[in-house]
Amino acid sequence: MAGLETFYEVMRRQGITRRSFLKYCSLTAAALGLGPEFVPQIAHAMETKPRTPVLWLHGLECTCCSESFIRSAHPLAKDVVLSMISLDYDDTLMASAGHQAEAILQEVMEKYKGNYILAVEGNPPLNEDGMYCIIGGKPFLDQLRMVAKDAKAVISWGSCASHGCVQAARPNPTRATPVHEVITDKPIIKVPGCPPIAEVMTGVITYMLTFDRMPELDRQGRPKMFYSQRIHDKCYRRPHFDAGQFVESFDDEGARKGYCLYKVGCKGPTTYNACSTVRWNEGTSFPIQAGHGCIGCSEDGFWDKGSWYARLTDLHGVGFGIESTADRVGLGAAAAVGGAVALHAAVSALKRAQHKHGNGSNGSSHTGDAA
Amino acid sequence: MSDTGSSEGTARLVVGPFNRVEGDLEVRLELAQGRVAAAFVSSPLFRGFERILEGRDPRDALVIAPRICGICSVSQSHAAALALAGVQGLVPTDNGRVATNLIVATENVADHLTHFHVFFMPDFARAFYAERPWFPRVEARFKAAQGSAVRKALETRTTLLHVLGLLAGRWPHTLAIQPGGVTRGADARDKVRLAATLGAVRRALEEGLFGAKLERVAELSAREELDRWRAAGPEGDFRLFLDIAADLDLGRLGRAYDRYLSYGAYPGAEMPLYARGIFTPDGAGAVDLSAIAEDHTHARMEHRTHPHHPFDGSTLPDVEDETGYSWCKAPRLHGLPFETGAVARQMVDGQPLIRDIVQSEGGSVLARVVARLVETARTLIAMERWVHELTPGAPWCAQGTLPSHGRAAGLTEAARGALGHWLRVENGRIAGYQIIAPTTWNFSPRDAAGMPGPLEAALVGAPVRQGETTPVAVQHIVRSFDPCMVCTVH
Repeated sequence: MAGLETFYEVMRRQGITRRSFLKYCSLTAAALGLGPEFVPQIAHAMETKPRTPVLWLHGLECTCCSESFIRSAHPLAKDVVLSMISLDYDDTLMASAGHQAEAILQEVMEKYKGNYILAVEGNPPLNEDGMYCIIGGKPFLDQLRMVAKDAKAVISWGSCASHGCVQAARPNPTRATPVHEVITDKPIIKVPGCPPIAEVMTGVITYMLTFDRMPELDRQGRPKMFYSQRIHDKCYRRPHFDAGQFVESFDDEGARKGYCLYKVGCKGPTTYNACSTVRWNEGTSFPIQAGHGCIGCSEDGFWDKGSWYARLTDLHGVGFGIESTADRVGLGAAAAVGGAVALHAAVSALKRAQHKHGNGSNGSSHTGDAA
Repeated sequence: MSDTGSSEGTARLVVGPFNRVEGDLEVRLELAQGRVAAAFVSSPLFRGFERILEGRDPRDALVIAPRICGICSVSQSHAAALALAGVQGLVPTDNGRVATNLIVATENVADHLTHFHVFFMPDFARAFYAERPWFPRVEARFKAAQGSAVRKALETRTTLLHVLGLLAGRWPHTLAIQPGGVTRGADARDKVRLAATLGAVRRALEEGLFGAKLERVAELSAREELDRWRAAGPEGDFRLFLDIAADLDLGRLGRAYDRYLSYGAYPGAEMPLYARGIFTPDGAGAVDLSAIAEDHTHARMEHRTHPHHPFDGSTLPDVEDETGYSWCKAPRLHGLPFETGAVARQMVDGQPLIRDIVQSEGGSVLARVVARLVETARTLIAMERWVHELTPGAPWCAQGTLPSHGRAAGLTEAARGALGHWLRVENGRIAGYQIIAPTTWNFSPRDAAGMPGPLEAALVGAPVRQGETTPVAVQHIVRSFDPCMVCTVH
């Protein structure tokens, strides 16, 4: 790893000013739920730490994850993250073509063996020996296995990589299969959503690159800092749910008054994601704000759970039902508090990570501890 | 991965995977005397959305179909909504129609900007062109992921997509478009924010891309005007492109059949902004939807005996099929391949500059790129008008009832061209769902008659220099179509 540039050097080379760099550090701290006192520590880590290469592969997918990613909240954040991952290998955006691109992939894999992060968008189809997704004449599955072999960690971007998504919906014609079912010997962080929110993607990757470790994950392998609360818990239409005021059809009186969308199919009560807090397109809005129910796109199996326009019928599992009494809704609120506790725990973990890196004076002695 | 092999004077070259195209693509070339003699275009990615849709609640097409593509998701959602409206005999409210136009147009303009800045121009910043007089300017502006114009364009696009945030909740994979309109009406405050957003986009394009008012670009009407713009027009990336195009003779590169198809874009109270129709060397005509059929002869699909109208179509992959070389079917109109996209829309609509270019020297890389830029200007101007037409408080979504049986086609225009969804409902469930996407038309394989698809035809004659494994001319031609491979096969 000797002689590898630091993140800061990479940014300088990309023409990012010191001022912008510090602004980025404070944005990052905010996105990760850290106070301003952590900004110098993040800056220090980025000035002394060698850059971690990221290889970004595309399997069977629709590229919505990349599309989301490249328009994250602050153009600067996007620029910085792009320069951090340096597009070592991303075949949608990269400048070179064909075999040159393949050569870059090989080069990065050899040079940074055991030290690069593999980010996967999409998933491998297993039917017919992988013939439904051929990249450079070979099944994507082969490429995925080859690149995963010497990666220190894998990021599963989006619902395809994390869970399978709609391309795995019945009858799953190609046997599209989530990454963790074919790569079983590497730490995998799942960032589900179709697509995931840009700020969640940049937040996760920034965390991993800055602190050289995985963020704290829940039992399903999702980063707790973004996936510990239900859409419903923080939905601005929640008071209407509690008051029993519902939209019955798009553009009815209830829709005009901004009532709850539960009866037109909203899956917010069973969906863990940050849409109702972080929102979309630079915090402009999110589907519920535009009058459409949540479709639950970050939940495993969201594609085969009955119509998106039919009301949820399995609310009991989440602690309260639609005909809830105040007591039962209170239980739901308690669950939300539980989520907040988990978030607090995640922030504490971050603080520990900060201390660790703040104390380490020699950035180049880093070895990957993402596992 | 590229490889060459030769026998008796002809050589073979496989080009791909292509980066900076949406999805995966491979092109097999046969070369003779330093030129492409034949091309075979292969789409190596198949997911089976049409099969996944069968048997479901028809309304769920609004969630599943857009996920065919993360870049054209709004167009897919619009086509699905139109097909569902068709089976219900539902007409969207005026407000719903105008809001839908804004939503669809936003994505289309965003795609045009991405194409020019991120996918197309960076090829001219390759070391291959280091000796050309325009190279330093292109390198500064368009080098992939670093060029100043690329960064600025991504910022502008992010700003533009606020329109989708405001009207549709999020992008990609917007949910707001419904058969009867949209799920959210714009209020007076939204209108102000929409106007401000479009104003910012207008300023950015007038400064960097065109160096001139959008109106001046939209009103270009003759080939000579383009030459004058190149010689003495305002500084901007448009002029830089014209410089490159003249130097490399892009007006004579990549001609296909000059046969164009458009379903018509952005419905109005009376007529669409861009007309529906076909335009061929014989002149303008109407689209006969019953004459559309998909041929599977060279697609790795079953049911190869005869072409099928999409209402009778099927999607059954056949991996044993050795004559097939793509997952892409070959759609034909009256048995002929048609090209679709911005150039087709502007040809059919009669935009005088684009007609002049195509009729004087044929459809080409230049024609396709200029059509996209002219259309960007025209569409943005229309979007500003639509914002004014939004009526706060007026109905934004009409209600309908799904019949247990019925069929309808949802036809719209994505950035890349004509997009159709053919829906059959039986017993209240989806019985058949066939999709023909723009790049399915443009990048289709050969048909039973051996007639190559538009890209396959456009590549014939392209120069390939000795030792070139990713020939630049081929790259320019492929990208001039702005392919969307994930839509192509779905």
